[in-house]
Amino acid sequence: MRHPSESTLALYAGGDLGPFARWRTDRHLAGCDSCREDVAAFAGLRDALPALGDIPDALWDPLAPEMKANIRLGLAAGECVRSSDAPRRHSLFSGVRAAVAVASIAAVLITAMVLEHPFPRQQPGPRRAPESVILQTTRDGIEVGDGGQGLKLKHAGAQNVMYSVGAQGSMRARYVDPETGNVTINNVYVE
Amino acid sequence: MCMWSRSQRRLALICLVGAAGLRAQGTLNSQGDIKINVPADSPVTLVSTSMGESRAMPRGAALVLDLHMSLTLRNSSPNRIHGVALRVVSQEVTVGGKASVSVPSLNVGPGEAFPVRIDLQLMRPTQVAGGPLVQVDLDGVLFQDFSFYGPDRLNSRRSMTAWEMEAQRDREHFKRVLAQFGPQGLQQEMLSSLTRQSERPQLDVRVVRRRAVSGAGAAVNAAQTAQFAFVNFPDSPVEPLDGWAELSGNEAQSPRIQVRNRSNKPVKYVELAWLVSDEKGRQYVAASLPASDPDLYLPPGRTARVLQDTELRFSLHSEPVNIRKMTGFVSQVEFTDGKVWIPNRQNLENAALLTVLAPSAEEQRLSDLYRKKGLQALVDELHKF
Repeated sequence: MRHPSESTLALYAGGDLGPFARWRTDRHLAGCDSCREDVAAFAGLRDALPALGDIPDALWDPLAPEMKANIRLGLAAGECVRSSDAPRRHSLFSGVRAAVAVASIAAVLITAMVLEHPFPRQQPGPRRAPESVILQTTRDGIEVGDGGQGLKLKHAGAQNVMYSVGAQGSMRARYVDPETGNVTINNVYVE
Repeated sequence: MCMWSRSQRRLALICLVGAAGLRAQGTLNSQGDIKINVPADSPVTLVSTSMGESRAMPRGAALVLDLHMSLTLRNSSPNRIHGVALRVVSQEVTVGGKASVSVPSLNVGPGEAFPVRIDLQLMRPTQVAGGPLVQVDLDGVLFQDFSFYGPDRLNSRRSMTAWEMEAQRDREHFKRVLAQFGPQGLQQEMLSSLTRQSERPQLDVRVVRRRAVSGAGAAVNAAQTAQFAFVNFPDSPVEPLDGWAELSGNEAQSPRIQVRNRSNKPVKYVELAWLVSDEKGRQYVAASLPASDPDLYLPPGRTARVLQDTELRFSLHSEPVNIRKMTGFVSQVEFTDGKVWIPNRQNLENAALLTVLAPSAEEQRLSDLYRKKGLQALVDELHKF
């Protein structure tokens, strides 16, 4: 007996086969326990999938100003390049236009990627001595920690965060607050 | 004799632990859990406090507090406010950790309100005494004329004065560009600034403090003493003479630099910028190196030693960065009369430091404004000052 392929059985389980293929598979399943089990397994898997399909909604509203800003920036940069050029040919796909388009698209993609997957700035590593007090940057803030205790100032959602360290035992994160538009400087200190 | 069976006791214990966990997990309130101190004679008044989604959650034997606080303050003084600093402390965190949130580059007129957001996470033992979990105090307010109000427990006056001077310096620079080269010139300058900011290498630095440190500090394996090279600005009131630090791989510790006051005024604070270069010659800002002596008094012509016992570890993208060279320059000086000196923009540019250093808070704000709202918004903003 020739069995249907796994993809056919999977499509059958989801009700996604065409009428003729479905009729043929029905006929086969009527006499094949093994394929019926496969179909049942695929159906069970589909029942579990909706939970996996609950992809968290991207926060597009906060992203929108960043994307618009980067597109505007790419266009402005392109304009600046063009205005400094000598007179030249105006072809539809000139190098500058292509560069501006590519830069704009890249800026949008990079912004989206960074915001969706913020780069981990520092992974807490093994500590040399348990008595150490550590100041460090984390993915979303700066913190002072000692064993099970810690204090962290967060800057979630901020872009272009500038970090600086004071050798006396302080750490600083400076950013433009996306909600207030004000520059905010967070500091943590070891006394 | 015990009346409960073993399984009943176990069930009761589970219920008790569960109830304790539920009790510990809850929203915070601004009345009992958070204490906000704004003195009655302060030039700012607290208009409102929003706690947002702040909450406390148990994690093992610890309690994690997530505090998302938004304060609205009003300028109740007759002067324009250009900066505010808030001190954030938790008495329960025994490491002596404290924090502050400052908002420089403000331009708030009398009667106007402005927001300050504090996004804090605190991890502390569950078993602690009562009292507020977090205390927020006004540490200082800086006005347009550089006058200051506040207890200044975190040296906010000096920090905010330096930031305001940088703000004035950089606004003047951009206004000069606008006057000389027009909007297109300003636009070019902004694009250059944004390029510098995006290309500027930024090291991950961990600061390690060892409690057992005494004298010169804990030894670093196979540490070598390396000498600083210095950038000297002609107008700097303090000059660095010589300096060393101990280097070992990606670790540096115990920097010490000798400086001389070459001005005619006594100095009470000196801060140097500490730059490091990796094996490929790429330069990064490592740290600022302030004088450790809080009672420093450096008369004209005299020398002093700037030193710290901290240990720094450098990495980039989680990979250790081995340090090969160190450079330093004087980045801030405060005189005993409260005046502050910072390097001028031309000197930073001449020494090719603009590409290594972070932009000032004001340059960061203005470039962000240009990026989000365009050239005309930037021009309008510059005209406000």
